[in-house]
Amino acid sequence: MAADNRYEEEEVRTDDGSPITKPRPIVRLGIFLVAHSPVFSVVFSAAGVLALLLLPLLAKNTYISENALMPGSARSMLSNRDASDGSKLVKDIKNFRLNHEGQVQRLIGKYMSEMVAEVYYQKFQPEGNQFHPLHFFSGPASYTLLRNVSCASYGVNVVGIIRAPRGDGKESIVLVTPYDFINGGDYEDLSLGVVSSLFSLLSRVTWLSKDIIWLVADSRYGDYRPVAAWLAEYHTPSFKVSDQLKCDELNTADNFRRAGTVAAALVLKVDGRSERFEDILSIYADASNGQMPNLDLINVVNYLAVHRQGFHVKVEKVVSLLSSSWLKIVGEIFEAVGKVAHTLNPDWKFGIPAAEYIEGSATLASSLYSQAFGIPTGPHGAFRDYQVDAITLKISPGFPPDSKARQHDFFLRGSQLLEGTIRSVNNLLEKFHQSFFLYLLTSPSKFISVGVYMIAFALLVASLPMVAASLYVDGCKALTKSTHNSAENFKSWKWLDAAKQVFALHLLGFIVTLLPYFICQVPGQHSPRNRSIMWGTTSSLLLVTFVTIPGCSPFSSRLHGTNWAILKSVTISAAFIGLCLMSIINFATAEIGALLLVPTCLLAQPIKPALRSRRVKSLLGAFCSMVLVTIGFPVIFFAITKGLVGEGLVGLSLGGEFWTWLESLWAWKSATYLYIGMVHLPCWLLCVCILFHPS
Amino acid sequence: MKEKKKDDGEMAEELEKNSYRFWIWSIASMIFRFCIILFPENINLSSRPELSTPLTSLCRLAEGYWLKQASMSPYSGSMYHGSPLLLSLLGPLTVHGIEGQWNHHLCSLVFVVSDILSAVLLRATGQQLEKAYRLNLRRLGLLKASRDRGILPCGDIAALVYLWNPFTILSCVGLSTSPIENLAVIVSLYGAVTRRVPLAAFGLIMATHLSLYPATLVIPLIFLLGYGLDAPPRKLFLQTRDREGEPGQDKLTRTTQLPFLWKTVLHFVFWVLVWSIYVLVLCSLSLKQYGGLEEMFKRTYGFILNIEDLSPNIGVFWYFFAEAFDFSRNYFLIVFQIYMFLSILLPLARRLKHRPCFIAFVYLAFSSILKSYPSVGDAALYLSLWALFVNELTDMKHSFFIFCGYIGFSLLSPVMHNLWIWRGTGNANFYYANAMGYACFQFMFVEESVSAMLNHDQALKKATAEMTKN
Repeated sequence: MAADNRYEEEEVRTDDGSPITKPRPIVRLGIFLVAHSPVFSVVFSAAGVLALLLLPLLAKNTYISENALMPGSARSMLSNRDASDGSKLVKDIKNFRLNHEGQVQRLIGKYMSEMVAEVYYQKFQPEGNQFHPLHFFSGPASYTLLRNVSCASYGVNVVGIIRAPRGDGKESIVLVTPYDFINGGDYEDLSLGVVSSLFSLLSRVTWLSKDIIWLVADSRYGDYRPVAAWLAEYHTPSFKVSDQLKCDELNTADNFRRAGTVAAALVLKVDGRSERFEDILSIYADASNGQMPNLDLINVVNYLAVHRQGFHVKVEKVVSLLSSSWLKIVGEIFEAVGKVAHTLNPDWKFGIPAAEYIEGSATLASSLYSQAFGIPTGPHGAFRDYQVDAITLKISPGFPPDSKARQHDFFLRGSQLLEGTIRSVNNLLEKFHQSFFLYLLTSPSKFISVGVYMIAFALLVASLPMVAASLYVDGCKALTKSTHNSAENFKSWKWLDAAKQVFALHLLGFIVTLLPYFICQVPGQHSPRNRSIMWGTTSSLLLVTFVTIPGCSPFSSRLHGTNWAILKSVTISAAFIGLCLMSIINFATAEIGALLLVPTCLLAQPIKPALRSRRVKSLLGAFCSMVLVTIGFPVIFFAITKGLVGEGLVGLSLGGEFWTWLESLWAWKSATYLYIGMVHLPCWLLCVCILFHPS
Repeated sequence: MKEKKKDDGEMAEELEKNSYRFWIWSIASMIFRFCIILFPENINLSSRPELSTPLTSLCRLAEGYWLKQASMSPYSGSMYHGSPLLLSLLGPLTVHGIEGQWNHHLCSLVFVVSDILSAVLLRATGQQLEKAYRLNLRRLGLLKASRDRGILPCGDIAALVYLWNPFTILSCVGLSTSPIENLAVIVSLYGAVTRRVPLAAFGLIMATHLSLYPATLVIPLIFLLGYGLDAPPRKLFLQTRDREGEPGQDKLTRTTQLPFLWKTVLHFVFWVLVWSIYVLVLCSLSLKQYGGLEEMFKRTYGFILNIEDLSPNIGVFWYFFAEAFDFSRNYFLIVFQIYMFLSILLPLARRLKHRPCFIAFVYLAFSSILKSYPSVGDAALYLSLWALFVNELTDMKHSFFIFCGYIGFSLLSPVMHNLWIWRGTGNANFYYANAMGYACFQFMFVEESVSAMLNHDQALKKATAEMTKN
């Protein structure tokens, strides 16, 4: 839609000068839009924000799209015997720990092999957060680094594989239980209990057509790393003999087993007790850069958990929004509008209760936030790099860990849930493809698909090409007026100077984005605060040099006769391209970025003439653009969001916090980092240039 | 007189300064290329579908070389589809390596050198064209004195556009053989512009041998040799001659009324025959044991014309032929290949007969849109040829829009590819939609350039008419 608009505007843009005989209707529409671009840009931006607020209302109920899944259609075969197997493992682990009899891995491995599973141990090295700028552009396999391995720190995963009686070994389903072998708590033991109950059943059943892999991930160094290490080994075997093998008595050489393509993966975690009496199941699905698993997987788990096992299912939400009063007012307005509409025509049923609206918005906000952040919310994120659909199920049991009776029941229900899910996935003939990959959740059973949420974004950015076109036309006219002779020669290339400046600042943004790599190479230990100071000073030095270089400095534009309108037009075009690109890579980042960048770009105007004119309207406009530009600076926006969450930060500690935040972004290869450095920062700088333009 | 001398001095100074700046920038572009070549491990550009097609991929060339070393036909296994001469030329460079991994640095060096050579030849071509432009304007009486500061040094601009175009840089460091193909095309143009007939024929034959589509350049080359360099339509000169009956002018205009130089053209045809026989003999020698020329034609030209490899690229055909039914395949193949000839080559050749170099640009642009395995290297070539006409195309419409479109779509391409291949959340339609958008913008670009050129001729006509009136 936005692209269409663009085209129309371009048609118009060139029509000045040459006589128009009879433009086509679409061109006339374009001319109309561009001619009234201030009004339409306000209307479109407001509509974009309104559409964003309306999203919880537009959420649809989830449904199972793939017929082959048939969740809950088979009777559960899990018996009390299997559940008591699980209880036995938990008890044994406790005793084992108390008596310090050695490695817990051995015990789990023994249990697995008793269940006729193929068992092996995998060693991995915990990896530090290293920033390498080029990793953003490469696939998952290309960064296997060869480093000196120290025996001091390594983790050991235990893996058991049950071969499917009806399968050909080409497909598999993975179950993951992160477990800290050194200081795992009682609740962590429970997750092992649940999966081992299920494992004991699966070793006997005849319907299995995909191999089952149980990965007990050593979560001493975080949940994510062991799973990622195992997946890397699983998919891209290294044929070099690693030094790690010599480190320990556990023989891990040459026995890494595989079981075909992974169809789906479930990560099970049990942690702290829930506040309620009932057990709570939280579903985490976000992988890196806003990628989500197929919606069908979440649907199956949600369906089984709610309708079969009676878990209270929830997804993450922003708690502070639940009590916000403005959201409540918005919700009430929508509710009232819905009611009015319902009285007018009983078929119109779009209103939802205000409480539900608030709940939905809080979930949506959390969904947007975690997607925009681009950091996986759990070990399931590692699977997404290999195109495997995976989710994390975090269960908070409603009982103390030592209650034996309820523990048995918990194992029964937990493993029945997993059994049902595995049975559904087992039915699949192809990989998940039927349902959505691009969606936002507003509750475990409600979602907004890409076709709906893109509207909000499209409306928001639609004003950019419009304003760019009208500014371009104005700027060209003004330029032709001011310089008669030289400009006449290059009627159509007046934008080149402005494009040069925009390019220069984008280049600067690129360099600033890569700077942390070099700052990390600076020898010696530095605190995040010092590093951020280094970054800030080098960046500003670079900026100063850029400004002093003649030709690419935006402040020297008076010499070139460049008019600020054309500079703004090119800036807006660059912002438009950047935002559209980002909306394809990671929608949530683009949406939040557009909320910041679109008004800043649209309102940016030189303040000098406004101050000179001393009219209230222009002074107000200048003030607004100043405020927006201040908020738009990434560090300040970060501080404001922190402040809203409740952590007030000022001065240098802010720099340190910001650095740590960015470090986490690049450690997870989040595209948001690239967006901030290469789209947001240059466009923001250009807006500052326009603001202080000597016109 | 004195003033003129002074002006000439100033101009010479300026020229010197310009050439000084040109060399600084070209050396900088060389250094930039070397910098990227030295850190390529993580980018892995050579596997990008935008840069290396089945025809231009150096990895495939290395594979073909290995096959040949192992006494097998380099074309066996449908890996290599390039020229056997290129195999003998670049093949040995791909083998020298350390620890089994073939070393790309030597090949990259060859590509950088060919890029620089192309730029130098482009510059020379542009200088000739600029001279001709100046001369023509003066003959028409539109350029009063030697005060022609408004005329841009199009040779320098074209060469720098070629050297600093991201497309050129990427295809140079991305290990694709398109820099060499581009060099061949530029050599032929340079030869024709400077009237070195054997050189022009050699470039044409080499370019055709390497990638087939430059065969269309035979039309502009014949025009170029027959009619001379790009000039406004000949009617205008007639008008001017009618107006001014001065003896000096008469001499000049008589030279503009050049007849079609059949002798040069025949000379050119002769050299084309010589070079093509030479190339064919060399190829047959190098492929003696492996099926000879027939095999080569089948595996290179046949592969290009039949569109056998349907792996994704930035062209518009792979998806279409992946979807088309087998029984209609031949029909569509014939239709598409003929479309290019009938609807593009001949009408344009008629309409723009007086501007042969510009025809070459238009042909190359069209073939880069409609060829079976396009890469960004082709775009690099026609964009730099376009820059040869900056003086004529100053009033090109939609320039900013097209520029934005080029940037947007070329950035979108890797994103769509990633979405389809790595993330699995998109599908082939996404990447193909991007390819279509890109082709659309290329079409717009060519269309706008051609119409700007025609408008330019129109404006000249108007101006001369006004002069005649006065």
